[in-house]
Amino acid sequence: MKSLDLTKSALSNTLRSKLRTALTVIAIVIGAFTLTLTSGLGAGINQTVDRIFGGFGVDDVIYVVPQMEADAQEQDGPPEYDPEAGVEPEDGFGTGMLSAADVEIVEGLDHVVGVDTEVAAQLEYLQAPDGGQYQAQFDFALNDVLAEFAAGGAPDRGEMQITLPEDWLEIFGTEDPEDALGQTLIVAAPNAVGQTTEFEAEVVGVTQGTLAGVGFTPIPSVALAEEVADINAEGYEGQMPEAYIMAAAEIENLEANEDAVKDALAAEGLWGLTVEDQIAMFEAVIDAITWILSGFALIALLAASFGIVNTLLMSVQERTREIGLMKALGMSRARVFTLFSMEAVVIGIMGSVVGIGLGLIAGFVTNGLLTADDGPLGGFAELSLFGLDPFAIGGIFLLIIIIAFLAGTLPAARAAKKDPIEALRYE
Amino acid sequence: MSTPVLETENLVKVYGRGPAQFHALKGLSFQIHRGESVAIVGKSGSGKSTLMHLLALLDEPTSGVVALDGRPVSKLKPKTVSALRNETFGFVFQQFFLNPNQSVLENVTLPLKIAGVSRSERDQRGMHALEQLEMADKAKNRATDLSGGQKQRVCIARALINNPDVLFADEPTGNLDSATSETVENILLNLQRDHGITLVVVTHDEDLASKCQRRLIMQDGEIVEEQTGVRVSSSRKAPITGGQGRPAPRRRRLLSFGRAGAR
Ligand SMILES: Nc1ncnc2c1ncn2[C@@H]1O[C@H](COP(=O)(O)OP(=O)(O)O)[C@@H](O)[C@H]1O
Ligand SMILES: [Mg+2]
Repeated sequence: MKSLDLTKSALSNTLRSKLRTALTVIAIVIGAFTLTLTSGLGAGINQTVDRIFGGFGVDDVIYVVPQMEADAQEQDGPPEYDPEAGVEPEDGFGTGMLSAADVEIVEGLDHVVGVDTEVAAQLEYLQAPDGGQYQAQFDFALNDVLAEFAAGGAPDRGEMQITLPEDWLEIFGTEDPEDALGQTLIVAAPNAVGQTTEFEAEVVGVTQGTLAGVGFTPIPSVALAEEVADINAEGYEGQMPEAYIMAAAEIENLEANEDAVKDALAAEGLWGLTVEDQIAMFEAVIDAITWILSGFALIALLAASFGIVNTLLMSVQERTREIGLMKALGMSRARVFTLFSMEAVVIGIMGSVVGIGLGLIAGFVTNGLLTADDGPLGGFAELSLFGLDPFAIGGIFLLIIIIAFLAGTLPAARAAKKDPIEALRYE
Repeated sequence: MSTPVLETENLVKVYGRGPAQFHALKGLSFQIHRGESVAIVGKSGSGKSTLMHLLALLDEPTSGVVALDGRPVSKLKPKTVSALRNETFGFVFQQFFLNPNQSVLENVTLPLKIAGVSRSERDQRGMHALEQLEMADKAKNRATDLSGGQKQRVCIARALINNPDVLFADEPTGNLDSATSETVENILLNLQRDHGITLVVVTHDEDLASKCQRRLIMQDGEIVEEQTGVRVSSSRKAPITGGQGRPAPRRRRLLSFGRAGAR
C-alpha cells in the first residue's frame, strides 16, 4: 500500500466513528491547550524580563551585598548565645549590611574603578509645591538603572534629584508626566531625636513600575539618599557605625574580569552579582514555575494517551474482519501496523492543532485583557503574560504526536498480529 | 506434463496441543494443474477450509509441503508470502467480507490498493472488472446496499482484479439461493474455462462440485475419494472414475454425497 493511500485510509478510518474520535481528541486538546498556555506564560514573562533588562547601558557593574551565612536559611531552632562571640560594630557581617570596612575592601580590589554605595535613608515626608505633604519610602538609589521612564530619566547621582512613580502625578494635578519634570519637591528627613530637616530636590523623571519591583516608589539620587542618611544620623549619641545596604562596584572590562572580582569578593565574605546574574535568577524562577505547570499539562496528556489506546483497541476489535481480509489479500504486518499507528498520529495531530490553536487564542486574548492600560495588570510597564515561542509550540506539537504514536503502538501491534484465518472466522 | 501450479506432499495440520490436539488434516498428497477446476467436497468439519487455507498460503502446515509452481513455500519470508497472495491468488468467501463503509468500487480495488497501484489505474481496472460481472452500474453504491448475489459478484470482481493465477472460493454459494447460486457457479466456471484461471472451490453444493473437472472428497481430514470428469448434474449413475480400491464404507459415503445432491 502506498504511503498516501495509507494516510488517506487512516484519516477516513478515524472519521468513521466521529463521536468516539471526537471524545479522544478532546482529551488531547485539553493537554495541548494547557501546555500551550503554560509554555506561553513562561515565554511571555521571560520575554518581558529580557525586554526590560535588555536595554541597560550600565553593564560594567557588579552589585555587592554581604554573603548570607551558610546556615542562615536552614537552621534547626535558634542558635545558642555565645558570650565570647560579642558584637563587632565595625563589621557588617551577619547584619545583612555592608560596613565601611567592606566598602573599603571593595574599593581596593583589582579591576574596581569606582564604588557607589546604597545607604538606608528614612523619610518623614515629601512636600509638593502646593504645600501637600505625602508619606514616602525611597527605592534604592542604585536601582535608577533598572527603572522604566514615562518621562525624563535617571537622577544624576551627584545632584539633589529624584524621580517619582506615575501615580504621584496627581500631586501636581496633572496626568502628563512631562509636566512633572523640573518641579521642585521638599524632602523632609527625621534625625535621631525626632527633629525634622527639610531640603529641596528636583524631579527629573517619572517612572513606571517594572516586574523587577523597581519604580513603584520615588528613586533618589545617590547624593540625595546620603544627605537623608546623614540627617537620620544627626543627634545619635556616640559613633553610629556606617552601614550600607549594598554597593555598586564599577569594573573595568567586566567580561574579562567578572570571575576574578567575584572570587575576590567571595574571599572577603561578600557576594557579587551582575545585572545578568539577577536576570538569570529571575528567569530560573519563572522557568521552574513554567515547568511545574507544564508538568500538570503533561499528566493530562498522559491520561489522554490512554484514551487513544482505548479507542484504537476498540477499533481494532471492531475491525477484526477488515484487518483479516486485508492481511489475506496480501497486506503485510508492517503495513497493518503503520495503518493503525497512523490513525493514532491522526488523532494526535487533530488534538494538538485544535488544542494549540485554542491555547494561543486564549493566551493572547487573556493577555490583552489583563495587561491593557485599564486592565488589572496594566500598571506594569511592558508586561506581557503570554508570548509566542515557535520552538516551544513546535516542541509541543512533536511531543503530542510522539505520545500519540507511542499510544498507538499497542493497538497497532495487536492489529498486525491478527491471524487472517481467525479474523475471517470471527462472527 | 507441466509442473502443477499447486502441489502438496503428506500435508498434516494439527490444531491445539497435548490431549486437546486435533488432527484436522492427516497427510494429504495431491496436485492441482494450471487451468484446472477442482472442487474440495465433504461434510462440515471434514477439513476442507483448513486445506484451502494451507493451499492459499493463509496458514502453515504442521508438517508436509505445499509447493507453488514446484517451489516449496515453507522457506519463504512472511512478506514474500503476503506479496504472493496479493499477486497470484484471488479469494471469494461465503460471508463476502465486503467493507460496509466503502463503495463497491473501493471494495473491488482493495487488492490493488494493497499492491500500491495508483488511484486512477485502480479505478479503471476496478470498473473493467465490474463490467465483466455486469455490476458497473453499482460501482458507486455502498456495498451493503446490494443483494446476496450482487455481493458475491462484487467479491468475484475483487478476486479477479489482480489477474490471479488461482482463484480460491470457500463455499461461494453457501449464502445464496439456488437461482443465484447457478449464476455465480457459471461465472466462476466461465472464468476457469475462458480465462484459464485455476479454480479451487470448497463446497457443500454438489451441483457446483459436479461442474468441476475434478473433485477431492474429504472425510475426517483425509481425501477418501477423487473423481475426475465433469459429471451431468445430479446424476446418481454418473461414472465414478476415482477411488478404485477404496474400502466399501468410504465408497458408500461418496454415494450418499451423490444422493444428497439429487434434490
Ligand atoms: N483454529 C482451530 N482450532 C482448533 N480446531 C479447529 C480450528 N480450525 C478448525 N478446527 C477444526 O478442524 C476441523 C476442520 O475444520 P474446517 O477445515 O473448517 O472444516 P470444513 O471447512 O470442512 O467445515 C473441524 O473439526 C474444526 O473444528
Ligand atoms: Mg469450511
